[in-house]
Amino acid sequence: MSDLRTVAGIWVCCLAAIVGCAGPGLAQESPSDDLPAQMTVDEAVRFFDTQIKPILAERCLRCHGEDPGELSGGLNLGSAATILAGGDSGPAVDLQKPDASLLLDVINYGTYEMPPDGKLPAEKIELLTRWVRLGLPWGSEFELAGAAGHESHSPKKPEPEVNDASRQWWSFQPVRRPQLPEIRNTDWPRNEIDYFILARLEQAGLQPAPPTQRAVLIRRATYDLLGLPPTPTEVEQFVADPRPDAYERLIDRLLESPHYGEKWGRHWLDLVRYAESNSFERDGTKPFVWRYRDYVIQSLNDDKPYDQFVTEQLAGDELDHVTAETLIATGYYRLGAWDDEPADPLQARYDDLDDILATTAQTMLGLTVNCARCHNHKIDPIPQADYYRLLGFFDNIRRYGVRAEETVFDASIKTLGTAASPEERETYLQELGALREKIEALEQRVKADFIPVEHQEFAYPLNRVPLVAARVGRVITADELASYRTWTQQLQQLASHPPEGETKILCVKESGSQAPETHVLVRGNPHVLGPRVEPGILSVLPAADVEITPPESGESSGARRAFAGWLFDPSNPLPARVMANRIWQYHFGRGIVRTSSDFGFQGSPPSHPELLDWLASEFREGGWRLKALHKTIMLSASYQMSSQFDSAAYAVDPANDLWWRFDMRRLSAEELRDSLLAVSGELNLDAMFGPSIFTELAPEVLAGQSRPGDGWGTSSESDRNRRSIYIHVKRSLKDPALANFDSAETDFTCPVRFVTTQPTQALGLMNGAFANQQAERLAARARRTVGDDSVEQLGWVLREVVQRPPSAEEIERGRQFVLQLQQAEGLTAEEAMRYFCLLALNTNEFMYLD
Amino acid sequence: MKAWLAAGRKMREGSGGSFCRRTRREFLWQAGAGFTGVALAGMLDDPFFARQAWAADGETDWKNPLAARQPHFPAPAKSVIFLYMYGGPSQIDTFDYKPTMYGMDNKTIQVKTFGRGGHRNEGRIVEPRWKFQQYGECGKWVSDLFPHLGRCVDDIAFIHSMTADSPIHGSAMLQMNTGKILSGSPSLGSWINYGLGSENENLPGFVVMLDRRGGPISGPKNWSCGYMPATFQGTVVRSEGTPILDLQRPSATSDAVQRRLLDTLREYNEVHAATRDGNSELAARIASYELAYRMQSTAPAALDLNEETEETNRLYGMDDPQTRYFGRQLLMARRLVERGVRFVQVYSGGAHNDDNWDAHGDLIKNHSHHAGATDKPIAGLIQDLKRRGLLQQTLIVWGGEFGRQPTAEYETGTGRDHNAYGFTMWMAGGGVRGGISYGKTDELGAQAVENRLHVKRLHATVLNQLGIDPNRLSYFYGGLDQKLVGVEGAEPIREVIA
Repeated sequence: MSDLRTVAGIWVCCLAAIVGCAGPGLAQESPSDDLPAQMTVDEAVRFFDTQIKPILAERCLRCHGEDPGELSGGLNLGSAATILAGGDSGPAVDLQKPDASLLLDVINYGTYEMPPDGKLPAEKIELLTRWVRLGLPWGSEFELAGAAGHESHSPKKPEPEVNDASRQWWSFQPVRRPQLPEIRNTDWPRNEIDYFILARLEQAGLQPAPPTQRAVLIRRATYDLLGLPPTPTEVEQFVADPRPDAYERLIDRLLESPHYGEKWGRHWLDLVRYAESNSFERDGTKPFVWRYRDYVIQSLNDDKPYDQFVTEQLAGDELDHVTAETLIATGYYRLGAWDDEPADPLQARYDDLDDILATTAQTMLGLTVNCARCHNHKIDPIPQADYYRLLGFFDNIRRYGVRAEETVFDASIKTLGTAASPEERETYLQELGALREKIEALEQRVKADFIPVEHQEFAYPLNRVPLVAARVGRVITADELASYRTWTQQLQQLASHPPEGETKILCVKESGSQAPETHVLVRGNPHVLGPRVEPGILSVLPAADVEITPPESGESSGARRAFAGWLFDPSNPLPARVMANRIWQYHFGRGIVRTSSDFGFQGSPPSHPELLDWLASEFREGGWRLKALHKTIMLSASYQMSSQFDSAAYAVDPANDLWWRFDMRRLSAEELRDSLLAVSGELNLDAMFGPSIFTELAPEVLAGQSRPGDGWGTSSESDRNRRSIYIHVKRSLKDPALANFDSAETDFTCPVRFVTTQPTQALGLMNGAFANQQAERLAARARRTVGDDSVEQLGWVLREVVQRPPSAEEIERGRQFVLQLQQAEGLTAEEAMRYFCLLALNTNEFMYLD
Repeated sequence: MKAWLAAGRKMREGSGGSFCRRTRREFLWQAGAGFTGVALAGMLDDPFFARQAWAADGETDWKNPLAARQPHFPAPAKSVIFLYMYGGPSQIDTFDYKPTMYGMDNKTIQVKTFGRGGHRNEGRIVEPRWKFQQYGECGKWVSDLFPHLGRCVDDIAFIHSMTADSPIHGSAMLQMNTGKILSGSPSLGSWINYGLGSENENLPGFVVMLDRRGGPISGPKNWSCGYMPATFQGTVVRSEGTPILDLQRPSATSDAVQRRLLDTLREYNEVHAATRDGNSELAARIASYELAYRMQSTAPAALDLNEETEETNRLYGMDDPQTRYFGRQLLMARRLVERGVRFVQVYSGGAHNDDNWDAHGDLIKNHSHHAGATDKPIAGLIQDLKRRGLLQQTLIVWGGEFGRQPTAEYETGTGRDHNAYGFTMWMAGGGVRGGISYGKTDELGAQAVENRLHVKRLHATVLNQLGIDPNRLSYFYGGLDQKLVGVEGAEPIREVIA
């Protein structure tokens, strides 16, 4: 052992510990070994230099050493010290238990597969194994790049930490109702909001735009609250209303309308990435998911307090009084995409949970907690452990399903109510059974003819009819196929319509009251457990007691109720600020914090922080009522400003950050489609709620599907004319009438919609069947209403489309157009008027609000 | 100036005098899909991008607009044609020659596989069902499924060591097209259009052509723009019937009627805009109608094969019913990239089961059919591009979402299950080295063992050949600078680059 004295550092002590005992085992496992199990220092150095160094240099150091600033997994293999210190997954080598070292595990393609571009040849794995067992002997003069001077494993960029400074971040401070700022023009404000807006304008030397005209105001307000145009009569009455509170009455009327929930519900559906199918290969329909949509609409119409609204969605099954409504609300957890055939089921489970956590944290807290899944948040003070603490609240949730559709019913569907009599129920079950029997008998015959692969295919309902159909003429007759089709449709119909009183609900379910242990997942890898964590709140936010009590049902852990309780605890300033900001955003086109789902360090700071706090405190103190806040905002002078241009103000504030005028906006996708129907007189406003409807899709659109038309049904004309919020939201098949106009992406939460202008929009509105159909109906309606006089018709059409009396020039321009079409193009007066209607529906004035 | 470009100019000038020039700068579509390298400098103050950034995360400014958008370096390729062999072709029956397997048929061996049938540790060998021959100066072994492509091997870089994260169609297709196994991210074509735009504003920059039997599973998810604005999504172009949705005027509407409608519409819109200064969107929308009008004639002309000679038609196999459909699509693809379309994806195989390369049942029947329908057209495309001097600037990518196993899926028969542990793709043109093979699978072709390459390395290579640094092309979304190649990045496969 005396030969070892020249070797410095770590190797000395380790080798001393190992050499003596590791020898025999090593020799046993490596019969071809031409190196002794024990080595002198010189031998060991030579061994490293000739055998190990080339492997490290060629296959490892590019990611784990060459650039100490960019170490993969934080691991530096450039020195024995950094190897022992390890990276994000812990020490790479354990000298006490060398064979259990992570390094050896990964080169044998265990937990990770390293190097990723191809497994090392067996002899090289053996050399590295021996090197580890020898205690990492290092070359005498060899210094690997990047290894020098690094005591710990990875010199990383300083990360945002939870400390006194980060706790001072503006959005983490308590919401305090601010004093109203001093202003000079005290005549302008109509309520508190205007003080905050005007103070900033005055500081910048700007004047607010004058109040807008009443005709503009009613159009703005009606679209804003209902997503629909006012009727020309409503506009005329409002313009002529002499009462001083005419505008307030208008707002009250709009807030009472049942169509309010259809407009504001859509905002919420954007945030929770509402969709009615699962995406991926089968993109199966989510059963009964529309009840959640209806719940949202109804809750908003009822002006349900926001804290209650969110609590029901997060923990409606864990409340003291669980009702069908609160259970339906938990359908919130079932809205995401779902891979029913994941390559790695454990990974998929955590992907699903991440989807839920990301949506929840961004929507309700305005924080991108999801960025801390694999490492500490790079920008915000959210340590990785915080992510898993939050995940702990959701960790007991059962996955949406396991694989086939039946498993979805088990994991995500509850049946409520037993109002049906036992006899009714018995009859129902008998019918169901008889139908199943017929179907199965036929399927048995067909299955006997299957080649092996077809049994696999048959597991999926959408394959069944084609597989059966392929046997016509051999195994079954054409008539039998026809019966088979009928029976399967009947079965589907029957299964989804249980006896009266029985309601099936898509909702959350947990695996009993005992939640599993939650661990930090090292680098987000579900196969590598880090330290255990308890469910808990973000550590940068004010501490609060979070007590988890399992509900009496014994069906769940109670963790989600605890989470919801903390969310609306007075110590938590974020939900009130985030939601007040969203409400402002939906009224004004953008938030006071423009990054309305990111109130963290990289979000944009509030343009009017005091106004935001005033709104947040108003919202919270007013019992979390949206309608009261709508009214306050809409009664402000700020909301009633004109969108008129002012070159002087534009020079100072071109982006209108200070709100010196109201921003014009384009209609949203749903508003546009609903307006086309409204103006043509076809909009079916009476039918609300229920299963979604199917619009007519062109063959060009269906052609993109692997089975054109699959999962897309047909609806009656009156159903097709319902509001856009009732159109089936299929993740892999979007109606271009909505998608082209920037409807919400459904796979992620959508806090702000794009507003694009593209030629495909123009093509759709000029050439598309839907637009042309509405133009035709509008023309027919004009003729029915005002008779055959074309000038009368022109005036009437323009008035319907833009809800104001047209000017003489506008009518004359239209008259010239229809005359040209008749005289130069040989069209009939009727045809010409149809084109004029199409033109009117394409105007910018129809499409944009002042 | 190319004829089509001149024609476009002329139309533009003729259609509105000062109107078009005035709004051109504000023309949103142009910003999304029509700028060239020269015009890049002007992009920063383009209202479109300001607006998109604003909408995407509520911020007015891009985090790092210059780094993210400029072509980072001069590069050979201008366009990509991605020949997507949907379903997953078997590597050992196509281009990954495994001579030692012949004679091993039906032998049960120890081999780790993972397909839709789950993980297995042993299986019954199905030896390659086709003979291989050597072709070209490089002497590449190619299976008898591809007699025509065999003659092109000196232009092709074969990559035998591809790996993917999932052996299941749904997620694997999403990964091949968007880089991620989860739903919701922009596809390769969207990223390219976001980074470079299209050279022809009268055509979509990202075109998808589908098999006549149907789209792939997940349909439009495969050409979705994910969290990016709709401007960047793929446009399905049909080779029969109306090529693009709503592109054709209703049959009763004549060109003259539509022109009058548009002229009068513009009058209404200009009067409306005159009292609404400082709203560039209004002008942009007026301009978008002119572009839509032009697209109605440009796109059909681009797809009109009557200009092509008989000889060219034959080159693409359009004289043979077996190859006519795919040949027609590839000829259209060539015409599109000639006109500046950045990314064209053509699917071989559609719908389900044996309508695509997913050979679970009868391997011989399945692969004979799909290779038979595509071999000659693809060889024709390579030759045609080459003789026109376009191959250097057109990157062709061939492959599916994964490969297939060396063993049988069932007790009997030749069907192979999916295999993401190792599979073959190839590239040609666009500055890629011809006549080479890179990476290796084991002696069974069961898994990549040498120079293993993840799908994102392929994506990195495609971007690189277009002059985009894959590790710098990013889009800020959801609190992250999202990248096609993921946050950890990926390097191009330098070994296959000329």
